[in-house]
Amino acid sequence: MKKQKQILLLLVSMLLIFVSVACSSKEEASSSTNGDNQVDGNGEVVERTVIDYWHTYGEQEERVLYNEIKPLFEEEFPQYELKLTRMPFEGLKQQVITAVAGSATPDLMRMDIVWTAEFAEMGALVDVSTLDGFEEVKEQLFEAPMSTNFYDGGYYGLPLNTNTKIAVYNEKLLNEAGFTEPPATMEELEEAARASVAAGSMGGIGILGLGQTWEWLPYFWSLGGTLTNDDFTQYEGYLNSEASVNALETILSWHEEGLVTPTILNGQPGFWEGIERDHYMMINDGPWYFSILGSDQARPDPLDYTVFGLIPEGPAGSISPIGGENISIFQSAKNKEGAWEFLKWMTSEEPQAIMAKGTGLIPTNMEAAQDAEFLQIPYVPYYVEQLQTALPRTPTPKWSEIEEHLSLNIEMVFRGEMDLREALDDAAAKADEYLSK
Amino acid sequence: MPQLKEEAPTTSLMPNKPTKEQKRKNFKKGLNQWKEVLPFLILGLIGTGVFVIYPLFKGVVMSFQDYSPFPGAENPWVGFDNYLRAFEDRKFSYAVRNTVLAIVVTVPIVWFLGIFFASLINLTFVKFKITFRTLYYLPIITSWIVIAFLFQYLFASGEYGFINYLFYTKLGIFNEPIGWFQNQWTALVVIWLFHIWKTVGWAVIVYLAALQGIPKNLYEAAEIDGASAIDSFRFITIPMVVPITIFVIIHLIMGAFNIFPQVYFLTGGGPMNQTEVIQTMIYTEAFQHMNFGYSSALGVMMGIAIFLVTWTQQKKIGKQNYY
Amino acid sequence: MQQRVHFFWKFVVYSMLLIGVILFIFPFIYMILTSFLQGAYTLPRPHEVLSAKPSLDNYKEVWNNHNFARYFMNSMLVAGVAMFGSLFIGSLSAYAFARFEFPFKELLFRIFLFTLMIPLVLAIVPQFTVINSLGLVNTYLGLWLIYIGGGVVGTTFFLRGFFETIPKDLEESIIIDGGGNWRIYWNIYLPLSKPALGTMAIFAFSGTWDEYFVALSIIKEESLRTLPIGLMMFQGQYASNWSLVFAASLIAILPVIILYIIFQKKFVQGGQTDGALKG
Repeated sequence: MKKQKQILLLLVSMLLIFVSVACSSKEEASSSTNGDNQVDGNGEVVERTVIDYWHTYGEQEERVLYNEIKPLFEEEFPQYELKLTRMPFEGLKQQVITAVAGSATPDLMRMDIVWTAEFAEMGALVDVSTLDGFEEVKEQLFEAPMSTNFYDGGYYGLPLNTNTKIAVYNEKLLNEAGFTEPPATMEELEEAARASVAAGSMGGIGILGLGQTWEWLPYFWSLGGTLTNDDFTQYEGYLNSEASVNALETILSWHEEGLVTPTILNGQPGFWEGIERDHYMMINDGPWYFSILGSDQARPDPLDYTVFGLIPEGPAGSISPIGGENISIFQSAKNKEGAWEFLKWMTSEEPQAIMAKGTGLIPTNMEAAQDAEFLQIPYVPYYVEQLQTALPRTPTPKWSEIEEHLSLNIEMVFRGEMDLREALDDAAAKADEYLSK
Repeated sequence: MPQLKEEAPTTSLMPNKPTKEQKRKNFKKGLNQWKEVLPFLILGLIGTGVFVIYPLFKGVVMSFQDYSPFPGAENPWVGFDNYLRAFEDRKFSYAVRNTVLAIVVTVPIVWFLGIFFASLINLTFVKFKITFRTLYYLPIITSWIVIAFLFQYLFASGEYGFINYLFYTKLGIFNEPIGWFQNQWTALVVIWLFHIWKTVGWAVIVYLAALQGIPKNLYEAAEIDGASAIDSFRFITIPMVVPITIFVIIHLIMGAFNIFPQVYFLTGGGPMNQTEVIQTMIYTEAFQHMNFGYSSALGVMMGIAIFLVTWTQQKKIGKQNYY
Repeated sequence: MQQRVHFFWKFVVYSMLLIGVILFIFPFIYMILTSFLQGAYTLPRPHEVLSAKPSLDNYKEVWNNHNFARYFMNSMLVAGVAMFGSLFIGSLSAYAFARFEFPFKELLFRIFLFTLMIPLVLAIVPQFTVINSLGLVNTYLGLWLIYIGGGVVGTTFFLRGFFETIPKDLEESIIIDGGGNWRIYWNIYLPLSKPALGTMAIFAFSGTWDEYFVALSIIKEESLRTLPIGLMMFQGQYASNWSLVFAASLIAILPVIILYIIFQKKFVQGGQTDGALKG
C-alpha cells in the first residue's frame, strides 16, 4: 500500500508541475493581449470587452495591423480590446469548420472572398445587411468587392481589401522584343511574346498554373470568354459558348506555340524568379509581391526592372478577376456588437488608408483609394484602374467544387488529354449540377 | 488474493450445454473477473471509447447522411448515395489506383531492403552494428512535415534541384532536368521514394531483432554438419523469420494503405488529382468541400478493405510477440 | 571464424552498408548544409550548398525573431505530458489484457486492434465536439486527452505482447508479501519492461511532437501553438527561403533525435508503422 501511495504522489506531482508550467506560460503570454481594464480620463475604470479577430495577414502586414490599427481602434473605442490571432493558411478551412461545428468561433474573421458564400450557406455568418448603419457603410465601399459578400438576398460580410491582377513586364526583355510601351492589346502581346521567345526568353505570356481559375481568367475574360450568365445561376450556354471556346482556343494556341511561361504546367522558374532573372518577359500578379520583395534587402527591388500595364485588351476589353478578402462576423460570436463596431470602423476611410499605405493592399473604401500618398506608390494606379473593369468570380457556395472540376478539365486540355469543347461542355454541365444541389 | 490466469480458464466453450445454475455461476464469475480488471482497464476503455470508437461509429452514421457538422443542420438520410457517388468520381478511381499502386510498389521494396540490410548488419564480422542501426532508423523518427519539405527541395525541378543536378548535370543519366511534380508518374515516383525512404528503417530494425533472436547454436550445429553459409541461410534463417515476415508485410500493407502526409504535404493530390490517395481524398472532401457524408463513406469503404485484406492474419497479429 | 571471411566479401558488405547509410543520411546533411547559407531566396545551387560553411545565423534568426523558442517549449510540454500519459494508461491496459482473464477479453482486443487499422482523419470533428463540450478548446488538457485517449490502443497492443513474456513465478514473492495487483504492476511488470517502455516512449513522443491537424483544431491561441504549426506558418511565409525553413526544421527535429539516441540502446524493435495521424 505504501508503494501505491508513492506512485500516486509521484504521478500527481508530475502532473502538477506540468500543469503549472502550462499555466504560467499561458499567463505570461496572455498578459500582453488579454483584457486588462483601462483607466479612463476621469480615473474611472472602464470594463473592456474583447473582440476576437482571426486574420491571415502576412508578417509585414501584421505589423501595421498590430502597431497602428489596433492602438487607433482601442483609443477610439476604449470599451473594446482587439485580440488579434494570425492563422496558418495550411488547414485553415479545417480550423474554421471545426470551430463553427463546435460553436467555438472567434467574433470576426478575415477570409478569402470565395469563402464568404460557402460559409454563409452553412449558416455560420451573420447577415450584416440587417444591422444598424449598414446602408451608410455600403455607400462608402466599391460595389464590385461588396458584391462578393452577397448571398441569398443578404450580405454576409464587408470587403476588407481588394485586389486584382495587372500585367507586369521585364523592361529589358520587353525592349528587346521591340516594344517601348507595354502592349495594349492581346494581338500586340502575342507579337511581343513571339519576338521575345524567338530572342531566347523562356516565356512571353505569364500564366502561373491551371489549378485555379484566377490564373487564366484575365486572358479568358478579356478574349471574350464567360463563366456564367449575369446573375451567376447558369453555366450551360456561357462557359461552353462559342465565344468561350474561341477564347480558350487562343490561349491554347499560345501554349502550343511555346509563348506561355512554363509555370502553366508547374514548370520552373517561378514567376518572380523568372522575371527577376530575365527569363520571362511578362507575368501577371496582384500587388502583394511588390511590398514583400521591395522590403527584402537580399533581392533587387522589382520596381527597378519591371514596367506595368493593364491586362491587354481583347475583344471584350481588359478584364481581370477580383480578389481580396472580406471580413465577416460569425453567428456564434460572443461579442457581435463589438464586432460590428469594428467592421464599420475598419472599412472607414482612416484605417483603410493606413493599411493601404503601410502594406500596398488596395482599400475597398472609395475615399481611402483616393488617398494621394497611396496613389504615389508606383504600381497602385494601375491596380485601381484595372479594378474599374474587374469581375468577381462566381459567388456561390459551390464554387470550390465547380472550380476544381473546371480547372481539372482545362488542365487536361492543355496537356492534350481532352478535347477543348468537350472539356467546357462537361464542366458547364457539372457546374450546373452542383448549383442545383 | 490476485486471480491468476491459470485459475481462470474461459468456460464459454464448454462442450455440454450449461445448465441454468452453471450459467448463473459463470455470469457471477465473469462479473468478478471484470471487477478485478476494471481499475486497470477503465482509463484505456474510456479514452478509446470516447476518442476512437465513438468517432468511428459516428463516421459510419455520417456516411449514410447528407451530413453537415454545423449546429442546427438537418442531416437527412440518403441511403447509399454517398457510396454510389464514389464510383462515378474520377478522383476516386485515381485515389484507389494510387493506393493500390503504393502497396504493390512499396511493400516488396521496403520488405526486401529491410531484410537485406538487416542480414548484412547481422553478419558476424560487421562492426558498429548499433551505429548502423541508429543511422538507418533516423528517417523514421523525423517529422513528416520536415521530410516533406526536404523532398520538395531535393526533387525541385530545374537544374538546381539536387536530384536533377546529380543525375543530369553531374552524371548525365537524365536527358533533361525532370519536372518531378509536373506529371503524375514522376510525382508518384517521388511519393513512393518518400514512403520507402521513411519506412525501410523500421523493417531493418524488426528483422534485425528477429535475426538476433535465432539461437547461435543452430548455426554452429549446421557448421559442424558441414553446411555452407548459403545452406544455413536457406534452412535455418529463412524458416526462422517466416512468422515475422508475415507480421512485417501486414504492417507494411497497412502503412501503405494509410499513406497521407506523403501525398498531402508533397503534391496535395496534384497534378489534376492524379496523385490523390484515399486518405487525402477523405481529408479534402471533408475539409475543403465540406462533403462530410461522402468523405465518411470513403472512410468506411477503406476500413472494410483493410479489414478484408488483413482478415486472415488478424488473429496472429493480435497474439504475436514480435520482438 | 572471422579469418575465413574473405577480404573481398567484407569490402562488398561494408560498401553496401555505406551506400545505405549515404541514402538515409545524405538528405539530412544536405538539409544541414542548406541551413548554413545566407539569403538563399531562390533555390540555392547544389555546388553552393555543398561548399557551405557552418554558420548559426539562420538558427539565431529563427529562434529569436520568429517565436520558435516559444513553440519549442510548448511542444516539449505537449509531447512530454502526452508521452507520460500514454505510457501510463497504455501500460495499465496492457497489463489488464496480459495478466487477467475476463469475459469478452479477446473480442474487446479485436475491436481495439481493428480501430488501429482505420483512418482517423475524419475523427477530428467528433473529437473536437467532445473537447468543446468539456470546455477544453484552446487548452493543452484538451490536446492531451485526444493524444492519450487516441493513442491507448497502439500502446496497449505493443506492450501486451511484451508483458505476456514475463514469467508468472516472479509474482510470487510479492503475493507472499501480501502485495496486490498494483504492486505486481509497479514492481514487476514496469521494471522488467523498460526496453519496451523506452521504445514506446519514443513512438509516443515523436507521434505527438509531429502532430499537426489535431493541434490546429484545438489550439487557437497564438502563444500556445506547437512547433508543427509554427513550422507550417513559417514555410507559408518564407516558402522560397530554404535556408531559414531548414534552420527551423532542424530545430524542430532535434529533440526527437536526441531522445532517440538516449533511448536507443535499450531499444526494442517493432511497433506500428508510425501513423502520423493516430496521435
